[in-house]
Amino acid sequence: MTDQELFAFKRADDSASEHISAPKYSYWQSVFRKFFSSKTAIVMLVIALTVVLIAFIQPILSGYDPMETPNINNPSMRFIRPNGEFWFGTDDKGNSLFDAVWAGTRNSLIVSFSATIITQILGVTVGMFWGFSKRFDAIMIQIYNVLANIPMTLVAMIMMYVLGSGMPQLIFALSVTSWISTAYFIRVQVMIIRDREYNLASRCLGTPTVKIITHNIFPYLISVIMTSISRDVPSFISYEVFLSFIGVGLSQAHASLGRMIQTYSSYMTSAPYLFWIPVFISAFISVSLYIVGQTLADASDPRTHMV
Amino acid sequence: MKNYIFSRVIKSIVAVMVVVSIVIVMLYTMIPRYKIFEKDEGYKKMSGDARTTYMYSRYEELGYLDFQQKSEMCSNASDNYEACMVNDSEELNAVISEYENNGYVVDYLRNGDPFVYHDYNPLQLIWNFYSKLIQIDHPGYVKDENNPDIERKYYIGESPNGMPAIMCSGCQYKYQLYFNSSFPFIHINAIHFNFGISYPTNEGMPTWQVVSQGQGSQVSTEQTFPSGVVEKSPLNQYTCQYKPILDTIDQRRFTDNYANCQSYYESPSMINTSYIFGIIALVIAYVVAIPSGIAMARNKGKIVDKAGIVVINFLIAVPSLALIFFVRQIGSIFNFPDRFPILGFEDIRSYIIPIIILALLQIPSLMTWTRRYMLDQSNADYAKFAKAKGLSQKEIFTKHILKNAIIPIINGIPSSIILCISGALLTESAFAIPGMGKMLPDAINASNNNMVINLTFIFTALSIFSILIGDLLMTVVDPRIQLAAKGGKKK
Repeated sequence: MTDQELFAFKRADDSASEHISAPKYSYWQSVFRKFFSSKTAIVMLVIALTVVLIAFIQPILSGYDPMETPNINNPSMRFIRPNGEFWFGTDDKGNSLFDAVWAGTRNSLIVSFSATIITQILGVTVGMFWGFSKRFDAIMIQIYNVLANIPMTLVAMIMMYVLGSGMPQLIFALSVTSWISTAYFIRVQVMIIRDREYNLASRCLGTPTVKIITHNIFPYLISVIMTSISRDVPSFISYEVFLSFIGVGLSQAHASLGRMIQTYSSYMTSAPYLFWIPVFISAFISVSLYIVGQTLADASDPRTHMV
Repeated sequence: MKNYIFSRVIKSIVAVMVVVSIVIVMLYTMIPRYKIFEKDEGYKKMSGDARTTYMYSRYEELGYLDFQQKSEMCSNASDNYEACMVNDSEELNAVISEYENNGYVVDYLRNGDPFVYHDYNPLQLIWNFYSKLIQIDHPGYVKDENNPDIERKYYIGESPNGMPAIMCSGCQYKYQLYFNSSFPFIHINAIHFNFGISYPTNEGMPTWQVVSQGQGSQVSTEQTFPSGVVEKSPLNQYTCQYKPILDTIDQRRFTDNYANCQSYYESPSMINTSYIFGIIALVIAYVVAIPSGIAMARNKGKIVDKAGIVVINFLIAVPSLALIFFVRQIGSIFNFPDRFPILGFEDIRSYIIPIIILALLQIPSLMTWTRRYMLDQSNADYAKFAKAKGLSQKEIFTKHILKNAIIPIINGIPSSIILCISGALLTESAFAIPGMGKMLPDAINASNNNMVINLTFIFTALSIFSILIGDLLMTVVDPRIQLAAKGGKKK
């Protein structure tokens, strides 16, 4: 056999040299794979989604309004124990507790979600600059040193007292008192990775600061932000319940789990279901959201993606 | 170091002042002021001119505005008092227009008498508060027309228990500095905080006295009075103030005019009640959380660790209110009272469940941090070296790692008081415990502004200074830590 028969000419393929043989990696795919590998998380996600869906759909269907009491003059409608018709029974004014509880849950969720979103957007934006600019840091750290020592529960309470009870006021009071700790948390994280070698290299190659923040640092912060969110949502729910319980949270016109717990604590022996159902529901939502958030935060940390 | 502590103290004082000033301005300008009368039964029964004057004098007393009636206007601004007191006289009209030019609002009662008032602006509100905040007693304090020749001097005398005391004649308080067996043993009456008058609840009492005076019924003890009379009486002679007019009982007991005394009460004050609960709960929380955090760190990844994490997550996620009621319910199964007043201060069972709850609220974060610090330290080089030397796991943990891991935990001890506050707010409300924590929501719901300001001051000052003490404590425990390091930032 001649050489021509044994060997065939092949043209050089440029694209083949660019091919990377490592397995394909997609960030979000890995996040979801990691998340769904936990059975507890799936169960809790189903519970959390169900609760959120019921809380947002049921009040639309029932049209519950705590100020309307059509059955107040009908004693036979009051204090009905939970049964097939009234799943959670009826309260002292003859309203269905099932409607009230879900309307209250919806309000808790709206307050908690809005406050979390505002806190995170404000906290992350300020925190990023704070970690990056040394001049800004010098001023902000002084402000923080003063603010961080103040018991924020107290400030939120007094703010609600001054502003009057209502949903926007509550969201304002909660976000105003908590954004600075989120910003500080982000600042520390930014400072840790700001001077890492890859960022130095990037800077030497002439990447503009804005691009370093959005492309190099922000992706790293996602898991940190997720952790922060997973702590915020249940803590704001807890906060709303707490403030409404002591009488400075949502007003009478809004259904609220905290206010329900406070009002019905006097029926603890005569109609215990009135008191315990809101307590259980509040515990239920915040535990399920907390565990979903924690698992998601773990899953969104790229270091857990290595098998 | 001295400079550092000094600047920290200054910063802390500034922080307290900033918070209190903001709260004052918000409370006085943003809350509709008629709200303070919602709980006032006397006001509701009044009508006409009586109601108007009562309303404005209340506002003035509480510091909202400067209110002057006809007689006060005339004596202040007019040379001819008699002419000024006649309605529609030239003199009076001149006085009125003078006040109007000074920014006062003029109004008339139904009987035709004029009155003027003018709202304080935020700066005046803040100034009025701080200028009256600290009151220093001095021998020129008493201005009694019936007793112009009162001796004005400090002297060293003997207090009712036989100990020497610095006493004063002409001051507001008779005993300026004295010693006795109750905490904090050395007592000073010469300097007092004035946070204004409590209204509409505990009407007329200084707010500071409301939170610091004992509660419940008075307790009488056998005591000797200055005149030599020995009687059973609840009076606390150390707190005696000047009283212009003495009644017959006072005259029998006292040789001078210092007869306006506070009393001894059977139950502790609001501050002390909150402290009893807070401190016992704090001790329990540390006693439980630190060993269990250590146990978790030592068995990382094993069943103890996993069970601990489940418990921690559960305690964090459940809303504190729900947790309180769960534990209270469990307690009532074992026959513990679900309200504090059922058994009261004397019975130990009243304390157990609230203290368990307060401790439970603090345990999760303490456990997490203890575990975290222990794990961080166990990866350090010195721990690996100790292992290479052949020390047992137990020795490494107790002798090497624990000593280092405990430092940040010690730093947290005083600031746990802050956590106590929010915990105490809820626990005290849920159990109806008569402490400061319950007082705050009560004061807010009753529109008792001065009380809210007073409690804000107490809580903020407590938390800020406890953080400072925590930092200082850390430098004592670990000499390597220097707070005043050059250019370094304390994290």
